[in-house]
Amino acid sequence: MSNDAPVTVVIIDDHPAILSGMEAWYAASRRPVTVVASGGSVKEAWVEPGSSADVVLLDLQLGEEGLAFSSLRRLVDAGRQVVVYSMRDDEKTAVKCLDLGAATFLAKSEGREHLVEATLAAADERPYVPPALAGALGTNARPDRPALSAREENVLIEWFKSESKELVALRLGISVKTVNSYLDRVRIKYANVGREARTKASLVARAVQDGLVEVEDL
Amino acid sequence: MRRGGREGTGARAAESSDGPGFSERLVTRTLERYGVWLRSGVVFLCSALGVLSVDTAQLPLAVSLLLPVLLFCGVRLYSLRNPLPFALLWTLDAAALVLTGLSQLALDGVGVEVMVAAIISISAITFQHEWAARPTTGIALAGLGLAVTALADILSSPGLEVSALVRILIPAGLSRAAFLIVRARARSADRAAAARAASRREAEAAAARRATEREYLATLHDTANATLLTVSHGDGRDWSWLPQRARRDLEALSAVPGFETGSIDLAALLSCVPEGEGPNRVRLTTHIEGPLVLPSGAGLAIFNGVREAVSNVARHAGVREAELRAWMDEGGTVVELSDAGRGFDPASVSPRRRGVSGSIIGRMEAVGGSASVTSQPGGGTRVHWRWHDRARAAWAGDESVERPQNAPAPQSAAVNLIRKQLLFGAQLAALLISLVSQFSLSLHQLTAYQSVYRPGWAQTAAFVGLLVVAVAGAAYLLRGRPIPPMVRWCSLGAVLAVSATCALTLPAERLLGPEDWAFGLIGWYALFLLADLRVRVFAVFLGVHVGLNAVVVLLSASPTAEAAAVLGIATVSNCGFQLSVGVLTRVFHNTAPIAGTAAAREEELRLRERINEDRQKDHKERYRALTATTVPLLVGLGHGVLSPHDEEVRLRCGVEAARMRRLFAEGDSVSDPLLNELRACVEVVEHQGVTVNLAVRGQPGDVPVEVRRELVDPVAVALGRTRSTARLTVVWTSREVCVSVVSADCADGLSAGDTAGPRRSTPDAAVSVARTALGGSVWVEASWTKSTVSGSDPT
Repeated sequence: MSNDAPVTVVIIDDHPAILSGMEAWYAASRRPVTVVASGGSVKEAWVEPGSSADVVLLDLQLGEEGLAFSSLRRLVDAGRQVVVYSMRDDEKTAVKCLDLGAATFLAKSEGREHLVEATLAAADERPYVPPALAGALGTNARPDRPALSAREENVLIEWFKSESKELVALRLGISVKTVNSYLDRVRIKYANVGREARTKASLVARAVQDGLVEVEDL
Repeated sequence: MRRGGREGTGARAAESSDGPGFSERLVTRTLERYGVWLRSGVVFLCSALGVLSVDTAQLPLAVSLLLPVLLFCGVRLYSLRNPLPFALLWTLDAAALVLTGLSQLALDGVGVEVMVAAIISISAITFQHEWAARPTTGIALAGLGLAVTALADILSSPGLEVSALVRILIPAGLSRAAFLIVRARARSADRAAAARAASRREAEAAAARRATEREYLATLHDTANATLLTVSHGDGRDWSWLPQRARRDLEALSAVPGFETGSIDLAALLSCVPEGEGPNRVRLTTHIEGPLVLPSGAGLAIFNGVREAVSNVARHAGVREAELRAWMDEGGTVVELSDAGRGFDPASVSPRRRGVSGSIIGRMEAVGGSASVTSQPGGGTRVHWRWHDRARAAWAGDESVERPQNAPAPQSAAVNLIRKQLLFGAQLAALLISLVSQFSLSLHQLTAYQSVYRPGWAQTAAFVGLLVVAVAGAAYLLRGRPIPPMVRWCSLGAVLAVSATCALTLPAERLLGPEDWAFGLIGWYALFLLADLRVRVFAVFLGVHVGLNAVVVLLSASPTAEAAAVLGIATVSNCGFQLSVGVLTRVFHNTAPIAGTAAAREEELRLRERINEDRQKDHKERYRALTATTVPLLVGLGHGVLSPHDEEVRLRCGVEAARMRRLFAEGDSVSDPLLNELRACVEVVEHQGVTVNLAVRGQPGDVPVEVRRELVDPVAVALGRTRSTARLTVVWTSREVCVSVVSADCADGLSAGDTAGPRRSTPDAAVSVARTALGGSVWVEASWTKSTVSGSDPT
């Protein structure tokens, strides 16, 4: 997929105000992003035209049903690229979504700055780590977490705190490009220990191919 | 002496006061009085009996020898109330002994011999108590008694009767030992009482500190915090009221907090509640049924609460009228402020807002009263204060001391403790006397006169029986437990059986003679079994015991007058002495409250001293903390040096207001106090129109309050200087907690591209602060590493 190709999205959210806000953000994107379908039910992602969209944007809290982890799992199993976004801004939910094979996780408060980038990255099967997710990965204390270097953890946490890669770079005395590569490496390490899914295969393969990680690092 | 942990601190506390504790002083004083009275009584009775037993020819000589002895006792009695020189008393005691010894040489008759033995023996005993505070004198006088007896023995008859000396030596030694035992118990009671008092003092002082702290925070909230917040909001309004208000705030903050003692007329106070100035004025309709006299602490708490509530009407109710009513009812004083304004839902008020919870309710609770606020949206607001007269009684001493409902309890507990220890000591002493007497004198008598008893085995069995009683009792006493009633009464029955056995198996004419080992011993046994009961019980037992022996004597032989006198002297010197010891234990029982009360009074004084000390110290510290921050602002505003129109001044006010809010939140009991304090700061800046995006990661842990202060402060400053939006984050990792704020447009002195830190304010400060500025945004981060050894900082 080339970097300028149009991207199609299906939005699953039951709140009309949020839907229109997202459409506005996508409309402002330099690379065309089209919302081909939207609605308050996961069904939208399984029927045309939503079933052929490049990216599924999934609100984790739909109606009264609780968290939609099982919907996420089925979408991932069907090979879909899912961006989860949620009002729930806690690390457990974020880490669990990554484990299930979501392309990335966004807190709703991060929508304005990160929704378009996260969607494009998912469409290109590139890693993308927004601040809320970075904070969750940086403080993750689960025993099955991948081994991160001190520097990687540091970059994650500073990114979470500042929401600005320029500030992180200034604070740590590195370049913004280096900040990005640390974030990508972490994402790939997580993909590598995660469930068998399209995200895992594509992210790891691409990372090795690009020389972002060595095979023996994983 | 066992001294561990708490008891050790108690002992120090007791020693730090003036010398011996109250129980010990009580014991020493009581024993001295007891000793003098006992000796005087015995001397009077014995010399009367002695004079009766001598020939009429020797009567003048007897009187001239014994009268001075009685006189000396009188002087000694007089000295109990009116202290006389130590040397004089000492000489009189010695002279009495010598005169008594002389009378044995000068006068004839068995009666005199018994009398002299009884007087010297009792003197050797009582000197140990009379001179308890000067043991050397007591021992020297006892030694003199021995010498006098020995000399009189040698001079009146050839050869020295060693047993007579032993008869003086052993009781005197036992007397000293008994004193030491009882004093040891008294000291232990003093130590325990002191330890208990010390911990109670800590608790009460801490409660008083908390109450003062609450009052201080409420004052701070109503004065400086309200003023600074208003300035920080900074709309272009009329600021003419500000200088006067700032000066008044300063006065309120510099006044030493605490409540003056005495009473106050609340009606007079309420009639001058300020109605506010300018647009904030509230017209008060007052119905006050005065006078309303109540303790000044409570009066001021109501007055200050009403003042805050009135300013709340102006700020929040949306009306300009309120009604203030105050009256007395049967429960106490009631004050009510009501308005017909827009009201609010009390459940929706943030727990970090202090106006109602701190200034009105908390302040009233701190002095022991109660206050409540009832309101509903659209239904007006009613604030209700109540001061109970019951509370007044409990707070009569010092209103700032929080007292439990059952205030006299600690004192009566102390009395019970002292009483228990003293009676326990008396029982132990009686047990010691019983055993030593049994195994020294009595055992000697029993073996020496084995052939006299009919049958011999009965007396031996009686001896063993007593021993069993001693062992059974000791098994309880030595473990510090009371003797159970069952064991007590069985043992007493056994002792009485021994008394009867011994009286019946010894020829009547030998009763109370050198062959009678049991008569004197029985009383000590009974005393050790009964010392903690009423003395009446012991007296009845002694009566039965003496009666039993008297009946045996009267039935089997009709004694001569002289023999009867000898029997009488022996009975008095034995049972009379034992009875007097029984009375003494009762005296301990009855005078324990005196020691308890004296201790309580002294404790009350110490507590008050301590509270005042704490209050002064805390006040100085609090004021010092404000001098660097709030005081210069208020001074500047009060004297027009700083203008509320200046943005920099408004920002400084915002920062100080946020800092104070953090301070108010410090005492909240919440699961994550750090987050709670941060939220308190966030609420202040959000009120000024700043959007704060707060996110937390990781597992919250414990952070000491002083570290929290250092962690939050730089962040509060950055937040306070933010104009539009800020991102506030808390990150907990296993080693570290980090609070960070990124302010999109911070009015800070940092120039773009600067990065500083992490830096500590002092080399050993626990918290390090890092600052980074880029474009318009400023990033301030405070972090604390949990272990004392700060880990390698990867940045």
